[in-house]
Amino acid sequence: MTEKAIEVTDLTIAYKDKPVLWDVDMSVPVGTLMAIVGPNGAGKTTLIKSILGLIKPAAGQVLVLGKPYTQQRHLVGYVPQRGSVDWDFPTSVLDVVMMGRYGALGWLKRPGGAERAAALDALDKVGIRHLADRQISQLSGGQQQRVFLARALVQGAQLYFMDEPFQGVDATTERAIVTLLQELRSAGKTVVVVHHDLQTVPEYFDWVTMLNVRRIASGPVNEVFTEENLRQTYGGKVAFLSAAGNGKNGKQ
Amino acid sequence: MDISQLLSDLFFDYTLRTVALGALILGMVSGMLGAFAVLRKQSLLGDAISHAALPGIVLAFLLTRQREPVVLILGALIAGWLATLFMIAVTRTTRIKNDTALGLVLSVFFGMGLMLLTFAQRLPDATQAGLDKFLFGQAATLLQSDVITMGIIGALALGLLVVFWKEFKLITFDPEFAASLGFPVRGLDVLLTTLLVIAIVIGLQTVGVVLMSAMIVAPAAAARQWTDRLSLMILLGGLFGAVAGVSGTLISSTAERLPTGPVIVLCISVIVLFSMLFATNRGLVWNWLRSKQNRRKLRARAVLADLNTLAMQHPHEAHGHSVAVLRTMSANPDGVSYALKQLRERGHAYEVSTDVWALTDEGLAQASRNQKEETE
Amino acid sequence: MKKLMLAVLLITVLLSACAAEANSDQAGKLNVVTTTGMIADIAKNVGGEHVQVTGLMGPGIDPHLYKASENDVQLLQEANVVFYNGLHLEAQMGEVLERMNDFGIKTVAVTDKIDRSVLQSPPEFAGNYDPHVWFDVTLWMQAVEQIRDTLVEVDPDNASVYQANAEAYLTELEGLHHYVLDQADTIPAEQRILITAHDAFNYFGRAYGFEVRGLQGISTEAQAGTADVRALADFIVERQIPAVFVESSVPQRNVEAVQAAVQAQGFEVEIGGSLFSDAMGTDGTPEGTYIGMVRHNIDTIVAALSGE
Repeated sequence: MTEKAIEVTDLTIAYKDKPVLWDVDMSVPVGTLMAIVGPNGAGKTTLIKSILGLIKPAAGQVLVLGKPYTQQRHLVGYVPQRGSVDWDFPTSVLDVVMMGRYGALGWLKRPGGAERAAALDALDKVGIRHLADRQISQLSGGQQQRVFLARALVQGAQLYFMDEPFQGVDATTERAIVTLLQELRSAGKTVVVVHHDLQTVPEYFDWVTMLNVRRIASGPVNEVFTEENLRQTYGGKVAFLSAAGNGKNGKQ
Repeated sequence: MDISQLLSDLFFDYTLRTVALGALILGMVSGMLGAFAVLRKQSLLGDAISHAALPGIVLAFLLTRQREPVVLILGALIAGWLATLFMIAVTRTTRIKNDTALGLVLSVFFGMGLMLLTFAQRLPDATQAGLDKFLFGQAATLLQSDVITMGIIGALALGLLVVFWKEFKLITFDPEFAASLGFPVRGLDVLLTTLLVIAIVIGLQTVGVVLMSAMIVAPAAAARQWTDRLSLMILLGGLFGAVAGVSGTLISSTAERLPTGPVIVLCISVIVLFSMLFATNRGLVWNWLRSKQNRRKLRARAVLADLNTLAMQHPHEAHGHSVAVLRTMSANPDGVSYALKQLRERGHAYEVSTDVWALTDEGLAQASRNQKEETE
Repeated sequence: MKKLMLAVLLITVLLSACAAEANSDQAGKLNVVTTTGMIADIAKNVGGEHVQVTGLMGPGIDPHLYKASENDVQLLQEANVVFYNGLHLEAQMGEVLERMNDFGIKTVAVTDKIDRSVLQSPPEFAGNYDPHVWFDVTLWMQAVEQIRDTLVEVDPDNASVYQANAEAYLTELEGLHHYVLDQADTIPAEQRILITAHDAFNYFGRAYGFEVRGLQGISTEAQAGTADVRALADFIVERQIPAVFVESSVPQRNVEAVQAAVQAQGFEVEIGGSLFSDAMGTDGTPEGTYIGMVRHNIDTIVAALSGE
């Protein structure tokens, strides 16, 4: 039986007695391009961060390619939200991309020629190699996004997590990113994307997980991305309470 | 004051050399480590830590009755660290935000320190410890042993900075990504903060508790104006700090009863001011000059367009038009004369008679080119 | 976290409790509060068993920097008479002492009687007088008279006792003055140079024939700069001075810095000893009295400067 890319069981995360994620099960096969959607505060970013070990769950378990994340770091690439860093930091594009290799370098070793080459390669793939020496404060939103993507690419991972990569980018960049993601999927990688634009879900993704504190639905887009599920996911803040009242959520 | 005499004294006079060396170490270490504090938005933390050091120093004396600087410095270190922990705890467990917590810790610890100081002064050996000298530092009485201690500790701190350079860079820029890579972000955070506390504590004897935060923040702020590369920024911060230290020492040595610590802080302030005004690219003066240039360019273009409009409306294209008319057409009447001069220099306009101007052929051509550009 | 805050709070409260002293007003005795120990010594000698004397500044305390605590203010308020040095020696207590006057407590500066013409006014202290008058024993004898007169005024019933006590004490001081003069004479004139931590010994120098230089100025409030350290070091080397002196109420390292600077020039200068400048020695020891302290000073100076 082929192992799943991600196996999440009973994941529960609370913040000061307020549930952020509640009893979430999710099973993502290898080689999928999956979107995570849900309203604000649904726990999408929290889900990703808990898989990456950045947030400790109150209950539940996460397996990445069959093992806990801590053993699989070298197989995972991460693209955080663009707004999570201060772009006024004094460094160049190339420098940021090389940071993706820090995990492999470990302590003490400095990035050298090999890392530089890998970084330039990744910049090439996202189409901004000519910006390698540019200060990151001088980048546009779309360029910033590409830098983060390139950084994830040099991690040489099997599984990628991206947090709202299409937020605030121009149409050209969006198209370029989607093409890149689909290439990754064709190469057998698994890509999980927190996505905010429902319109483009069927077009870009083959799998979707719909989240509103609880997992409303998870599966292939054409099966699961239904109006009923959308209503359950986005039907107001009471979605959690009404779901609790109804018992089981729509599964499968 | 003979400059060459001053400089030779710097190398050959024991007192000046010792104090200057101590100030140099202080400036370099605090300038470099301060850069990280500034980038991590922890500038105020430096201030809180230095003020919090006061009760540590006094308590160290009260508990051990030792007046050796090493003991007191240790007390400062512990107190500085406690203050940081306190701050973190307060922000984490209560609803109080970062800046409020900082202000709270700073004033409470400092107030406690002053209270303890008043209490300590009743004890006979208290004055011997020179406790209140830690408020503003007493650089002039630095002994060689003090400077050696500063040097060793400073070298250690900078050594750690070099070893963990890429990790510190990473956790400052993107701590989440760092965590996802498996780096112990908390531990590195603690280490970097400890280095900051060490940098502050080394400098207390020289510039004192009240002014130390300036030496942490100012060199980095100045350095940021000159470069966009992290490594250069750190080095420049160290350089500026060192220069301020040495020049402060030199300047204060020329007059009697001029305290060294405050003069050092004045020197770094001058460096900051200069950097803010004149640094390439970011300097305020350059920005002002550049925007002035741009405004002039735009105005010349506008006047050219106005002249063109007038020419089009007039039966004779080459007919001149008075400056007064141009002024009424312009949104900025005062700049019209200068703009006309610019146009003349470029060969786009010429003065038909006093204060009456017309476009040259080249000018007309340029005007129509501009028009096409704008409508595209 | 709350436990840590509680512990800190407890420590603070405990410390302030330790600082509070009980003050009992013994029946029949005049409650006299003084600032420096030297003044307290006079009061004890002149007042005898008719006064209860409390000195605010104990041994090793620097009067230029001393700030009155709440407890001190309480003590002052419960006093019948307050004696202080005046001439801005107690620089941080000016307002407090003024307030005592407003409260109707007899507050007297023991230097009031001294004719201003005999007081020194050094250039950097422009407009003010050097307050360290107690080092010229003859001037200090005038302070004794001041205290005697005040006590007589406030407590006329015991006037004769005070007069007698003062008479006896003044005789002792007379003897002390001559002792110092004699001792000073044993040092050859060109070796009579006194280097100390701050300019506290100007009157001493004038009265007993010494050239005096201090690292810090009249008040220890002003920091010494590198120029001052160097100037003093140069002076020491130039005049071949064998010994310098630290003071009990000023950090020793200041003088050590001068010593290091001198050594760097290849000259050896010793620390001749510790002098009592603005405070006396520990209670109960001979140096804990004015006479003992002056004797200690001159003996130390003579031993250090005449030997070499």
